[in-house]
Amino acid sequence: MKITRRDWMKSAALAPLATSGTLRWLPGGDDRCLVVIELAGGNDGLNTLIPLDDPRYAKARPTLSAVRKEALSIGEGFGLHPAMKGMQALMKRGVACAVQGVGYPNPDRSHFRSRDIWYTADPGFKNVKATTTGWLGRAADLLAKQGAAVPGLSLGSLEVPLAFRSRAVPVPSLQRVEDYQLLIDPQDRESFIDFVGSLAKPGDGGDLHQFLGEVSQLALTNSEQLRQALGRYRPKAEYPTDQFGKALQLLSRVIVSGFGTRLFHLRLGGFDTHARQAPAHNGLLRTLSTGLAALVSDLEGHSCFDKVSLLVHSEFGRRVAENRSQGTDHGAASVVFVLGSELEAPLLGTPPRLDDLDDGDLKANCDFRSVYARMLLRAGIDPVPVVGEIEALAF
Amino acid sequence: MNTVDSQTHQSPLETWQATTANPFDLAKAGHLARRVAMGASLKVRRTMVRAGVEEAIDRLLAPGRGEDVDSFRTQVIAIDKVGALRDYRMWRLLAGRDRLRERMSFFWHDHFATSFQKVRDVGMMARQLEVFDQHGLGRFDDLLLAVSQDPAMLRWLDNETNVRGRPNENYAREIFELFALGHGKYSEEDIKAAARAFTGWQIRDHRFHDSRPKHDKGAKTLFGKTGPFDGADVVRMTASRPDSAQFLAKKLLEFFVHPEPAKDEITALAQCYTDADRHIGKTLSTLLRSRLFFSERAMRSRIHSPVDFVVCTVRNLGANAAPHALARAAAQMGQTLIEPPGVEGWPRERAWISSATWLLRTNFTADLLRGRGYHLQPILPPELSGGRAQDHLRLATEILVDGQVSDQSMTAIRHFLRETGKDDAATILRAVATLPEVQML
Repeated sequence: MKITRRDWMKSAALAPLATSGTLRWLPGGDDRCLVVIELAGGNDGLNTLIPLDDPRYAKARPTLSAVRKEALSIGEGFGLHPAMKGMQALMKRGVACAVQGVGYPNPDRSHFRSRDIWYTADPGFKNVKATTTGWLGRAADLLAKQGAAVPGLSLGSLEVPLAFRSRAVPVPSLQRVEDYQLLIDPQDRESFIDFVGSLAKPGDGGDLHQFLGEVSQLALTNSEQLRQALGRYRPKAEYPTDQFGKALQLLSRVIVSGFGTRLFHLRLGGFDTHARQAPAHNGLLRTLSTGLAALVSDLEGHSCFDKVSLLVHSEFGRRVAENRSQGTDHGAASVVFVLGSELEAPLLGTPPRLDDLDDGDLKANCDFRSVYARMLLRAGIDPVPVVGEIEALAF
Repeated sequence: MNTVDSQTHQSPLETWQATTANPFDLAKAGHLARRVAMGASLKVRRTMVRAGVEEAIDRLLAPGRGEDVDSFRTQVIAIDKVGALRDYRMWRLLAGRDRLRERMSFFWHDHFATSFQKVRDVGMMARQLEVFDQHGLGRFDDLLLAVSQDPAMLRWLDNETNVRGRPNENYAREIFELFALGHGKYSEEDIKAAARAFTGWQIRDHRFHDSRPKHDKGAKTLFGKTGPFDGADVVRMTASRPDSAQFLAKKLLEFFVHPEPAKDEITALAQCYTDADRHIGKTLSTLLRSRLFFSERAMRSRIHSPVDFVVCTVRNLGANAAPHALARAAAQMGQTLIEPPGVEGWPRERAWISSATWLLRTNFTADLLRGRGYHLQPILPPELSGGRAQDHLRLATEILVDGQVSDQSMTAIRHFLRETGKDDAATILRAVATLPEVQML
């Protein structure tokens, strides 16, 4: 399906979209969320979703293919890495699916360039400039126009990724709720907030000045409202105690509390497995899979899962052939996972062929922007201004 | 905004001269202090103004003998805790005598970003930072070779597993992309050749070891030349490429001048660097005296990283603070020394500022001024400990922002102080520290 602006307007008419105008904290209309989880470092897709019957796989990976024996079958000759029991259960229930062969033409094997290409949704991306925006940042700008005060949040780290760089509305990051409170004598609080507001008048100085003024105002107005909203949450699942589990629980708190944020970005790092990959990859996929299983069950317990769509992706996959350090080097196309309700099938896309490689790497047959477009549609956001007019992948 | 005079076509690197109309004032001294010294007390900045621009820079470039920063070094390695190393380096950033050297070691720590998270050896990390101390202001060729043979780097980018017949491309790729040339200035074939050339550079007993049996002695084709190259050849051939001069010039301009340097500025500094035989210190000596460095466009054009921010705040206040507390505060704001997030280094400029980190920053200053939370004494700059209360606001703006405050901001501060009914030094400083300018470097 190729989306044109007119198609979008038609579908938007069916969705309960918020009207533009006043700032709103709690969603009055559309409250569908899009969550993006980035596996930083380049996840080895071939050892995540394993082609069980392809003899070329075992041949290319003399030691790393050992995981195949205990792979968790999901049909069509594919199995998940044995550490992904939680993900297997989600796929069997029809609330998770894998899309194979996702990437972009002329793959770039630099972490940073490829990551920025995914962040900006621009396969020709070269350098970050002051005017550069990320795809989630552009989506945040659309939601801000409709009146959302905090359309997006970067969770689990204080850094806001380029994916969230926007024009109109700075996107906050949130690591711990306790850090998000202003320290001041209670009797001076109101005067201080007024004071910060009076410093941030538009046109007061250069761009940098204005940017800092806006962020400071946003910080003060949001922190109090966030604290109140988060108080309404009681966990309905047990999360892993690692950093990623904590970030996922924070995500659930924000969604369940009805804070009104609809775009989220989280990162799980450590996937750059050049040497001795097996134990590290095993631990990472376990962290991912158990965390996601807890998240889905918590959101379901709060009757919130229906409005959430999650995308799990990485900047690239890894070389088909194992290197001599029992690791894998930077590759190209890879598998992404989508979580959400009413998914078509557990396996989507065409598996890239192991006998038709591009300089030792899997060839992409699915443009990552078509996945983005579908994710945006699921979240009720017009994909055209975000990723351009591109055919949305069906799922 | 651009004071580089476009009508007279002078080189952006021409030495800047103070004039009556455009003197070397507190604003310019503050700029020099922030960019080179990570801030300085008002007393020191006033001394710089009196000395004049030339002498102020000379003193920064040739600091003379100070306290021996190496006195804690062996203890830090003996303690063998990454926290001890972090606190030691934070102490040097805060109080080390040789300001430009400390600043450049911090620059290279970001440029050759290596994290303890993977290296897991305090001594190795300590020695890598000493490589930056030793070569950071010398010839880039020497620095690049020392880094390429540095055990922490050999481990960080997997060169310890890069051996004959089993090449690992990780270091080869990053030396080109992130350390010396920039993306796209090499081919995938160059990476494969360089990886083979670096085979055999190993670690033995925590030290560099050149294992000849593990080295691939075969012919390699690198940058169109063929020969039995080794790692030292790759370093030499890479550092001497014109693309490398452009790459480093841009990086130095982004750090010292402006986050988005213009093409002609990059070209001019690359030429200067080449003329200086790729000597970093000599290149900086020209850059820091230049019209470009003191241009309006450069002033407060950057955003403080967390480490810059906490160090600069404390130094501008003319105070001292526990390095451990500062290191922890910077880590909370997203910058943990000795543990950069990845080989690309830390985020830059606006990426540091979110509403969450803005709150952490304003809370940090509040804690600092009240002596709360960081095991510190309340900080009271000497200028504000006596004298007339009505002078305190002006002095506070000089301490924190070189007196560069718009009338509108001044009115807002006065209004805030009236509203709270307070005129104590901590409240005045907190108000001034809330100005957006305080976040700008």
